[in-house]
Amino acid sequence: MIRVLPAVTATAILLSSTASAQTVLDVVAWKGNEAEPAGLPELIEKFEAENPDIDVELTYVARKDVDAVIPPRLQGGNPPDVTMVDSSLVDLWGGAGFLTDLGTDSAWYDQMVPAVRNVMTTDGEIFVYPLEVIGMGNFVNMDLLAQAGIDKAPVTLDELKAACQALSAEGIAPMIFAGSFPAMLYVGANGIDPNGASPAEYGSGERQFVGDDNFNASLDSVRDLVAAECFDPELQAGLDPWATAPQEFRSGNVAILPQGAWNIGGFSAVEGLNYQFAPMPSAYTEHGLALDLVGPGWAIPRDAANAEAARKWVDFFAEEENLNVFLEAEGAYSPFVGGVSTMPELAAPYTEARAQGSLILWPFSTLEFPKALQSEWEDSITGFLLNIDGDNEDTLQRWDDVVEDNL
Amino acid sequence: MRARRSLYLFTVPALLVIGLFFIHPIILTFDMSLTNYKGIGEANDVGWRNYERIFTRDRYLNEIWLTLWYTVIVVSALTVTGLFFAAMLHRLPLIRNFSRAALYTPAMMSFVVVGYIWQFLYSPLNGGINVALRDLGLGAWEQNWLGDPSIALYSVAFTQIWMFTGFTCAIFLAGFAGIPEEINEAGRLEGASSWQRFRYLELPLLGPSITVSVMLTTIGTLKTFELPFILTKGGPDGATRLLSIDIIDNLFGQYKFGFASALSIVMLAIVLAVAFIQNKVLRDREQS
Repeated sequence: MIRVLPAVTATAILLSSTASAQTVLDVVAWKGNEAEPAGLPELIEKFEAENPDIDVELTYVARKDVDAVIPPRLQGGNPPDVTMVDSSLVDLWGGAGFLTDLGTDSAWYDQMVPAVRNVMTTDGEIFVYPLEVIGMGNFVNMDLLAQAGIDKAPVTLDELKAACQALSAEGIAPMIFAGSFPAMLYVGANGIDPNGASPAEYGSGERQFVGDDNFNASLDSVRDLVAAECFDPELQAGLDPWATAPQEFRSGNVAILPQGAWNIGGFSAVEGLNYQFAPMPSAYTEHGLALDLVGPGWAIPRDAANAEAARKWVDFFAEEENLNVFLEAEGAYSPFVGGVSTMPELAAPYTEARAQGSLILWPFSTLEFPKALQSEWEDSITGFLLNIDGDNEDTLQRWDDVVEDNL
Repeated sequence: MRARRSLYLFTVPALLVIGLFFIHPIILTFDMSLTNYKGIGEANDVGWRNYERIFTRDRYLNEIWLTLWYTVIVVSALTVTGLFFAAMLHRLPLIRNFSRAALYTPAMMSFVVVGYIWQFLYSPLNGGINVALRDLGLGAWEQNWLGDPSIALYSVAFTQIWMFTGFTCAIFLAGFAGIPEEINEAGRLEGASSWQRFRYLELPLLGPSITVSVMLTTIGTLKTFELPFILTKGGPDGATRLLSIDIIDNLFGQYKFGFASALSIVMLAIVLAVAFIQNKVLRDREQS
């Protein structure tokens, strides 16, 4: 027994020293919980298997709580090793010098979709490894369309109006057009010409919304939709776009819902709901316009304790097969050129529009439009729907005022 | 004299707690309101610019007015309904305990749960209220409860009144319990009707309960955030955008911590002013 004791002690010391050599990588994200796993549990397991000296400790923090939880850690010099960020956080934290420049010489930098790369690079520095772009467009109930004798999701304005009239004639509610988010998507898709002026020109005040032909035509086309019986503007103006509207679509009460692809998982879980995800009908294209929202990415805080391990984490996601696990779980597209599409077949119309180059990056997600403008868009378009015969100028002037306030 | 001094010493811990956790944060907030702080990084001094913006823009003055109007509606309705149910239950001892618990139940529910339930009830598309009206042959009364700017504020207020009627009712029931039975007995012997006893005997004696109820509901309603946020997010087109919603929007929607702090200080000043005036008026009334 006395002989065995030193051996046991030595083994214990060896094991404990091995354990203390383990790097614990502190990762904070608003994905990865049970409700929205985003493939992270599987990816963490794989990362740890490839890097046996690193233990990943993922802390889930809801996006709305990130603003309160992370800044004190960044300022106190005790940040997580890796944190999930979106464009507004990159702007805020990166601008204050709290994020590490990941380097434009990174292997993945040149592979980024040029439009994404341009908006993510500031003064030659890039603070984020982007994980995804998420589509926004129309969810279309194909069974309800079939009842009206239509077998294709509408992607042009004429097709949309024809579908509305046919659905309305059958007594089917054609479309959700809640004044805030859904209406914003439509107005944006018909106001921003993918081959015309950059949204940044509007957001910087260089170009004004008032008097702009595109945005005036966009608001006019909303009146055309009303005339085609797509929706009752007064009834839908104040409809909640996040709870009531998706519930109506889920229940099969309405044929078309403008929303984001993040709903695909939820809608696909509804038994018997036969739907497609299509691009937004737009005056500028016959393919429909894909509205890509630049999603979250990984950033390494300036004072990260385990910067080297954090780099390994970012590089791990830069490998296509790993990123694809995340993208497939998210129902999102790769922000890198040549990425394999992991989107389900029901999103084929949207994917096709992207393949045709018929897409824009949603300017609120790239900060080309100031953040304050988003709530003004929501409010003013609601006001526009409540007074559909009012002057376009009343609505557009409000946008210019907010832009001016933010200059 | 020495004993008196030592009595004051006992207040020191309480004063320290108040100073540290109440006064100090207010001073910090005021300090932040004079900057353009974004929640992280440098805070640059901007003087009174944030306050100037608040008092020169219609948007913020409208929000202040809306917050006060909303408070008037909710507090008046809560006082009347609470008093009504308390007076009824005071006269119906057999169902008093059960009814008090039933009325109080909504106040124990989470704002989030209440908000989402009422959102579906108010929905213009197959919402419970419109469907019920239709089924009752009252289809002409159907409304876009949360989508019509002219009634959205009242719909939100109704939900809050529904939620907290039990709370004010409980306060008034406690007040009724404190009224000596002999007074009612004397009223009965004099031939006073139930209404006369309520109006001329009970109501004046409920003065302290009314003061407590009005003060608590006023302060709570002026700070209301959850229900309007869940039901309408301040819409449609700003029709229910109370001061508290704009504070949160500026804080976490736009990262304007400095400006949101200025709005918070304005809100604090309003709450203090209203509470002070109300307290003075109600106390004077009680004593007269």
